[in-house]
Amino acid sequence: MNGNIYHNRKAQWVAYVAVFVLLALVPTVFDNPFTLNQLARYSVFALLAVSVSLIWGFGGILSLGQGIAFGLASYGMGMTMQMQFQNPEYDPIPSFMLTNELETLPLLWEPFLSTPVGLILTILVPTGFFVIFGILMFQARVAGVFVAIMTLAMLAAWYSMAYDMQPFTAGFNGISPPLPLQIFGGEVDPYSPLAYWICVGVLATLTLATKALLHTKFGLIVQAIRDDAERARFLGYNVAYYQVVVFAISGFLAAWAGLCWVMIVQYVSPTSMEIAFSISMVVWAAVGGRASLLGAIIGAFMVNGIQSYLGDELQQVWMLILGAIFIGVVLFLPRGIAGLLELILSKVPFGRGPSGAQWSAETGTEEKAS
Amino acid sequence: MSVHDFWTPFSLLPFLNALIIGISLASIWLIAALGLAIIYGTMGVINMAHGELIMLGAYTTYVFQSLVGVPFLICLPLAFFVVAAIGWVIERGVIRTLYTRPLDTLLATWGLSLILIQSVRLIFGGEPQYVGVPSWLNFQIDASFVHLSGLRLFIVLMAIILVTLTWYILYRTTLGIRVRAVMQDKEMAASFGIDANRVYSLTFAYGAGLAGAAGAMFGALKTLFPDMGSAYVVEAFLVVVVGGIGLIGSVFSSALLGELNSVFSYFTNDTFARFVLFTLVVVFLRFRPQGIISEGMGRR
Repeated sequence: MNGNIYHNRKAQWVAYVAVFVLLALVPTVFDNPFTLNQLARYSVFALLAVSVSLIWGFGGILSLGQGIAFGLASYGMGMTMQMQFQNPEYDPIPSFMLTNELETLPLLWEPFLSTPVGLILTILVPTGFFVIFGILMFQARVAGVFVAIMTLAMLAAWYSMAYDMQPFTAGFNGISPPLPLQIFGGEVDPYSPLAYWICVGVLATLTLATKALLHTKFGLIVQAIRDDAERARFLGYNVAYYQVVVFAISGFLAAWAGLCWVMIVQYVSPTSMEIAFSISMVVWAAVGGRASLLGAIIGAFMVNGIQSYLGDELQQVWMLILGAIFIGVVLFLPRGIAGLLELILSKVPFGRGPSGAQWSAETGTEEKAS
Repeated sequence: MSVHDFWTPFSLLPFLNALIIGISLASIWLIAALGLAIIYGTMGVINMAHGELIMLGAYTTYVFQSLVGVPFLICLPLAFFVVAAIGWVIERGVIRTLYTRPLDTLLATWGLSLILIQSVRLIFGGEPQYVGVPSWLNFQIDASFVHLSGLRLFIVLMAIILVTLTWYILYRTTLGIRVRAVMQDKEMAASFGIDANRVYSLTFAYGAGLAGAAGAMFGALKTLFPDMGSAYVVEAFLVVVVGGIGLIGSVFSSALLGELNSVFSYFTNDTFARFVLFTLVVVFLRFRPQGIISEGMGRR
């Protein structure tokens, strides 16, 4: 049946697991804390790219608002870590609030006194927001560029909120928790292999779970809706329900990214909700291949890796290069690196067809036709 | 921070002044959105580089005014034509191949905006530049509750002029008839002998030119930075999307959004007003995705 190893499900799982095992083994080779921290950052970006790939590549919904979930979760995590440093008895209020003339801890911050509650809220609030926002949009059958514009507007709204609510969010300066995350009686040093493994572990778990989800009936219906929402609706599927759920899952993934991000950088500011950052996530997914979760991960690692290692002189022209890469990918390689790989692998004979020799001769045409 | 610091109580004269500021704001957003509205309305293209076209207009004005010595009023049409030419090249080079993929246009034009920002930064440097306000605009109206600078008054007038001009081109010239024909049904228009691709190129160039003229004025209003365009692009999008189809829609929606923003700012502050406004727009679009004005035409 299957002429291209790219489409072989077993081979896909092997590739996914192989990449994550390779990533997990990195600390045994490099013990430079800065490299590890940088790679941990890339895996957070990779998770964001996975969330874009899910909603855009598989759900067919271009969301420019993934930064909302990422930013909300970042603030949740920042608040949790900040409150770990504060003492509820005699030093309950973070110093930036005191400089903003706040005498008591705001109600918004109260739950974050407890680390478990704080961590749960960090994931729950962004996901919940995406559920509500999704219901708002998809119940009304908003689609296409309108989703892009609405998510963009919402992102801009949250950005200005984080910026403006200075007594609660420390505004432009952002929150920098003085201590690393304290958990299970120990602490997670941002530059340790442990922090790296947590980030890669979260990335691997969530990506594999998402991939498994996409192979279920639910995942197939989501992809059917991407291909033709109207037809799926006529077949009796509740399109809005599937869109809301897949949108919420993408928010859930981005929220985990936000949690991990603040864990390894110990800092959160409104920049986490900048428009350019959210569009960058789309760039990573597009370069790697939006219709492949692994492609999106590779895209995130590649774009950020190239950016970091270009050197200071070339940083000047980095935006030029990025812009050109992006236009090039959109124009000539709409399926990204993963699409390119698919094309190359289609030339390679694979599979135990009825008779091997005949197979290899015919696969090329078969692939082109489909 | 108590409620009283946050919430400004109502008093008549400052509130009326806020309404005047709203008109000024509305005219700025209208000018910023006009080109976008034409491009989106005709071609269904979301041009993320629109803010950068505005920026190019501002830098064009700066170059002609400071380095060549052209008077401000002449710089306006110059900015229009220079940016229109750039827009024409962009349409031919990038947009043309993407008409069937509107979401990809959004992304490609974003890549383009990165390139434009960085190119300008490489040429002019990252430090701020200034466009001089001509002396005949250096006056201030201060009559009871009206406080308005001459430049802002000029921008309100220019908004009226540009909208009238665009209306005239669209509804009173042969070219305008062609544009509207292509807008309604590209295939049908093409079968009547209209060169739809040429119409698209001209429309995009005209929209870009309007952005250029907008940039000339915004340059006088604010300082010039390579990434100044991003300050306008979200508002411009919202004006277009809320307005729906046609020039009238954009005029209404910019007036509505400008006034609302100004009134919210009056009661609270600028950034909070932005939050409330954007949230309201999202809720509005949920109930009326076709915008304020819809002419029963199929949306692209």
